[in-house]
Amino acid sequence: MATSIIAPKRPFVALPFLLPSWTDALASGSRRYQSSYRRTKQRLRVKPDASFGPSSQTHDHIIHNPPSSAPSVYHTPNKFLPASDVRRAMRTEKPSTTDANALPGVYKTEAERKYHLNPSDIEEIRTLRLADPMIWSRHKLAKRFECSPLFIAMVCEASPEKKQIQKQVLEAVQSRWGPKRRMAREDRQLRREAWGRDE
Amino acid sequence: MKRLQLQRWSSTVLSPRARTSNKLHQHLYSASLRHQSTVAPLQTESPTQNVIEDASLDLEDPELKLRLDSVHKRKSQLKYPSPPVNAAAESAKLAALHARLYLPSRLPLETLARTLVDVSADPNADFNNESLATLGHDLLTYYTSEHLLATYPRLPLTVIFAAMYAYVGPKTLAAMSKEWGVDVASLPGGEVDPGFLQFKRVEPGTDLSKATKGKGPRPYAEAKNWRKTVTSKIFYDDEFGDPIKGSNEAGAGVPDELARATAVRALMGAIYLHSGRPAAKLFFQQHVLSRSLNISQLFNFSQPARDLTRLCARENFEKPVAKIISETGRLSRHPVFVVGIFSGQDKLGEGAGASLLEARERAALAALKGWYLYSPLNVRVPSSMEEEGAAPWKPAYVDLGEVIS
Repeated sequence: MATSIIAPKRPFVALPFLLPSWTDALASGSRRYQSSYRRTKQRLRVKPDASFGPSSQTHDHIIHNPPSSAPSVYHTPNKFLPASDVRRAMRTEKPSTTDANALPGVYKTEAERKYHLNPSDIEEIRTLRLADPMIWSRHKLAKRFECSPLFIAMVCEASPEKKQIQKQVLEAVQSRWGPKRRMAREDRQLRREAWGRDE
Repeated sequence: MKRLQLQRWSSTVLSPRARTSNKLHQHLYSASLRHQSTVAPLQTESPTQNVIEDASLDLEDPELKLRLDSVHKRKSQLKYPSPPVNAAAESAKLAALHARLYLPSRLPLETLARTLVDVSADPNADFNNESLATLGHDLLTYYTSEHLLATYPRLPLTVIFAAMYAYVGPKTLAAMSKEWGVDVASLPGGEVDPGFLQFKRVEPGTDLSKATKGKGPRPYAEAKNWRKTVTSKIFYDDEFGDPIKGSNEAGAGVPDELARATAVRALMGAIYLHSGRPAAKLFFQQHVLSRSLNISQLFNFSQPARDLTRLCARENFEKPVAKIISETGRLSRHPVFVVGIFSGQDKLGEGAGASLLEARERAALAALKGWYLYSPLNVRVPSSMEEEGAAPWKPAYVDLGEVIS
């Protein structure tokens, strides 16, 4: 209720939603008036970077403030330099401010590698997957043997019949896709391929 | 190393007339060898022409005599498949090209004219540029490959092939000749200005892949589903990793691009023969190496993260771990993640992307490129030892090889 009383007292231009639509173009964009000039100016007054300011160095020097960008690939990391390269010794090891271990990882939990399966387990995985591929899928096998589905794929292969069935299932699913979904999927694939070319 | 004397061994590639002349040489050989201008063309001169010439001498009218002379000249020119050698000195185009390219003065205009005659225009090996092009191609590919291998010793083979193609491939050489202002003649012939590039064009509608006879050195090349490994390309394929095709059939035309590339190669060979190795190398540096090529754009990885793990295992580094360096707008429509790949405390690469997966892949890619694009300091190529007074050779850095996964 309070707002409805105050609203008419405001100047009309400050309430653009009350105006008809053709005035939108006029009202858009902030206007600077004598009254608002000082406020705008104060907001724009950002303190420059410390390296631009007067330094304590008395002699002439170069201010180098490159814009933030990805590091050049032509700059070989110190670890990749061969032992015979003189640049290894020339690059002074400055103590890095960021500790690599303190940074958050890309994955929430890093899967711990157990290395607990022995050859007899692997034989069992193979026989199970060949015996009944519909029940013993990669994920079920991974759950039972407490390893990753990738490891199952490395150890054994699905039978040709199962592959054929899976292919038909995939085709049945894809046949229901409309043009939009299909194009979006294709674009996603193209984008992924572009990562490898660094585009 | 002392420079070889040109006259001793260049006779196999140079025809007698185009050979550099010095007094001793002329004295030794002039008695036994006829110069190219006096070599009889394919059709021997008919005696009737001599009769006409004799008759024209008797004519009193100088204007008529001039006209008759020009008619005879044109008639004799029409007999040849490519311009005669004495036309080179009169061609303004040729002189302009010579001056434009700052070619050494020891390279005569006659040889420059010969580099512009393709084998499809003139099948006579004494007058076309085939021999010069063979030499020039070998020189160009040798200088390019040694430059690439010495500058970037860790490059994968596919990238080397791509870089070789970008530096001295037929497309680049054809573009180079266009930049030089070399024009092509519509039809080759004796009456054409020798400043034009002369070759027989391909008939429209010809299938270029089928136009070759003979086959390359690769066994079972016709087998479609045989895997062609990258390593086998070193043995069986050409400098660019493309299959070697058989030679063209005699009388068949060549594409514009190939004729232009052959002419540029022939010019390189001609410079080497007439002015020696330093001039050829200078020409190579000024015209080929000076072209900018960003080698980092030639890479294409399918599994960069896996390759990097393999690399770190091979080189006994700690296992690479992806860590988020910074991020913004994780819950927005356009998030940006900056991910770094660390091996122990050392950062190997850094990449930004719209998803964590993309940023991680890009970071792994940057790390792999950092490995492959390593370049030693003070690069020296093996051919620099051929210069006089060269410093003793220090062995170049040789890498273990690319990461195979």
